[in-house]
Amino acid sequence: MIKKLIVLLTLAVLYGCGSDAPSIFKSEIEGSAKNFEDDIHGTYASTYTPLKSENVVIRNATIFDGNGNKFLDFDVHFSDGKIKNLGVDLEVEGAREIDATGKYVTPGIVDNHSHMGVYPAPGVRTSSDGNEATNPVTAEVWAEHSVWSQDPQYKLALAGGVTTFHVLPGSANLFGGRGVTLKNVSANTVPDMKFPDAPHSLKMACGENPKRVYRSRGPSTRMGNVAGYRKAWIGAENHKKRLERDPEYRDIKNETLVGVLDGKILVHNHCYRADEMATMINISQEFGYKVSTFHHGVEAYKIADLLADEGICAALWADWWGFKHEAYDMTIANIAIVDQARGGAGCAIVHSDSASGIQRLNQEAAKALAAGRRAGFEISEARAMTWLTKNPAKSLGILDKTGTLDLGKDADLVIWSGNPFSVYTKAEQVYIDGALTFDKASNFMPHTDFDIGIKEWEEK
Amino acid sequence: MRLIRFLILFPFFLFPHADDMYLLKGGNVFLPNVGFVKKDILVDEGLIISIEDEIDSSVSENVINSDGKYITPGLIVFSALGLIEIGALPETIDIRSETYNAGFDPSDAFNPFSQAIRLNRSKGVTSTVNIPSASGYFAGLLSYTKINNGLKQKKQGPLGLLTSYGQSYDDSRAANLMFIEDLFSYVRNGYDSTKADQIQFFYGTDNEYRFTKRDLEAIQKVINKEMPLVVRVNKATDILKVLEMAKSENINLVLWEANEGHMVAEEISKAEVPVIMDPLNNIPGSFDSLNATYENVSRLHSAGVKLAFYYDQSSGAHNAYLATQSAGNAVALGVSYNEALASVTSNPAEIFDIKNVGVIAIGYDADLAIWDNDPLELMTQVETVFIDGSKQDLSNRYDELTERYTKEEELPNSYRSR
Repeated sequence: MIKKLIVLLTLAVLYGCGSDAPSIFKSEIEGSAKNFEDDIHGTYASTYTPLKSENVVIRNATIFDGNGNKFLDFDVHFSDGKIKNLGVDLEVEGAREIDATGKYVTPGIVDNHSHMGVYPAPGVRTSSDGNEATNPVTAEVWAEHSVWSQDPQYKLALAGGVTTFHVLPGSANLFGGRGVTLKNVSANTVPDMKFPDAPHSLKMACGENPKRVYRSRGPSTRMGNVAGYRKAWIGAENHKKRLERDPEYRDIKNETLVGVLDGKILVHNHCYRADEMATMINISQEFGYKVSTFHHGVEAYKIADLLADEGICAALWADWWGFKHEAYDMTIANIAIVDQARGGAGCAIVHSDSASGIQRLNQEAAKALAAGRRAGFEISEARAMTWLTKNPAKSLGILDKTGTLDLGKDADLVIWSGNPFSVYTKAEQVYIDGALTFDKASNFMPHTDFDIGIKEWEEK
Repeated sequence: MRLIRFLILFPFFLFPHADDMYLLKGGNVFLPNVGFVKKDILVDEGLIISIEDEIDSSVSENVINSDGKYITPGLIVFSALGLIEIGALPETIDIRSETYNAGFDPSDAFNPFSQAIRLNRSKGVTSTVNIPSASGYFAGLLSYTKINNGLKQKKQGPLGLLTSYGQSYDDSRAANLMFIEDLFSYVRNGYDSTKADQIQFFYGTDNEYRFTKRDLEAIQKVINKEMPLVVRVNKATDILKVLEMAKSENINLVLWEANEGHMVAEEISKAEVPVIMDPLNNIPGSFDSLNATYENVSRLHSAGVKLAFYYDQSSGAHNAYLATQSAGNAVALGVSYNEALASVTSNPAEIFDIKNVGVIAIGYDADLAIWDNDPLELMTQVETVFIDGSKQDLSNRYDELTERYTKEEELPNSYRSR
């Protein structure tokens, strides 16, 4: 047992925001009750089955590959659910040909901050399932157990080019619970939507929200928040010690926290203010875990170098601000400054946190790009595309499978009517694992049960 | 020749105040019913006084070379700009009232030094229609305020009386309709305004709305057709009911939001009722908006409904300028370009009869924005803004913060001058 923990801790050190999904998830570990293999591969495993992939070659497109490269008049070939080739005048037999002259192709967009499914539409009290706001520490809840598979919002995001999204619990709590990464496919059960082998995540929240929600019982101050995090981590350490004596002992809350300490569960930390993010980094150092990503980070630009040095991503809005005091020091150049820290070593992400914003993440990136250039940075559109694809995939630990058009990766991609950084551009087709899931021309898209019988008008 | 003509028409031009007169030369100027045309614009004493193919540079010491630029009327946004600083801090919010409702006009609380105003001005906004949010049956009065630098702003209003109709936790929407009919009837039949300073108006079993004299006077203005009733309503059947009510009460109506408006577009058009909306509202976010769709805007547009746009997707007042993003999307969704741009400039002025603004025309207030590219595109930047002919300071806290954190300097930020 001890030996196993040492192995895990070593791997945890190696593991970080910058790495792909860690191979430790695939290793065989003999089962104790808190076996994380069960979480990923056992009872709650993904049962996602891709739709039947097509064999397609897209011709003469302008391609942003998600790695920061732009290719003109390029072809992309995919089949069997995977990207097979990129190049000029590809010779492919038996593939359906799509002429994409004048069009753009990008990887499918990955939104690493969504509440679709847990705050579904219509937004009524009876399906408001995103925040177990009954205790400042609810590390035991899992967002996937709130997700409503029939939320009509998924297909709207799909029409905006989103092929993968990460559903988080809300931010009322210091520890909100586990998040879940989903492929944007329509399915009748949540495991059928779960991104295969994606690491679990833990939502944490700084600042105004927890201290406001729990002010009568505590925490009611930011220092109370920090004491709350540290108490919980100390509890998790104690739980680990107890497991050494009693491997069968179970504690649902601490199983999540220990998963973080063991480097298997990725921390996604809602945090606006620069000084608070720095404090959260201190806490992670005290307990030896890693923050994958700070979310919302309206002040991330103030500590862009620190974030780059620590290898922590920042998932940000282009321009939201002013709704809270901790969201007051806004700059639209935030994303660009984080991206350009330490000579371009930053990990900047455009996230939505909104069922509306998720439909137009390309437009949000365009505004952030324009502000970055105005602030004096030379940033290409191809680079800005990494904020929507590669970096969020990295932050979720799924970059080995999606987020770029690298050969062998999932054929998750979007054909755009024109430059995706233009307000006039629309996603025309979206492929997930090589299967067409959205086609604007024929109005083909998934419909959840919610949609059945609802629509009282004829689409044109 | 043309120069001579306007010198004759405007002899005071011979003695211009150099500081006040500007010649905007060679820009693509957005003209009403025409679209972008290359023109020169002369601005003096706060007004647009000439729009010509060519105006001689010698008439003004202040020539702004606008070659390749785009010049539009300043944006007119629907927002709580200047009335809300931080959303979660009620003490910084001035759009609310529990004392007044129909008669509540928040514009006296307007703070021209709000950081949100500075940002929005730098993004091409020159004026705002203030949106009230009183807690009674009516949200209050819409009014118009310019957002120029300085202590004083020109205002117009009240422009309309805002309320909402549709789902509620308490009464049936049917009861709400009965209530407004009864209330209008009470006011129409001549309440004694000298008698009471305040009346209580009861309906149902446990609901009570309180109206002061000021509130009743505002309702009287709607009944007298001095201003429209503005109704936030989404469900198609509710929209029909509101149209019916406006007809039988013989009042002017403006619809707000109207997520299911596309289902009754012909009826809205026939009633000649304008719609204030965000084309991006396509989520079935409530049971009143189950048929919300991106097609809403194009269907209303094709039915000939007069539209004005606002941005409803994030941060409320703080990002009101993003009405241009909504307008750009509207173009992608099938609205003509000129109509989309009019929906954030001239249409708000037309709908609410705001005088002398919203278009680039001779004699109109010189409220102008100069853009480096297509104003509806996401990456376009605003270069110059005029309000009442005065060139605005576009500096703002956000650009300054950006600069503070992108300068390479030895000392910590706090020890450097900006």
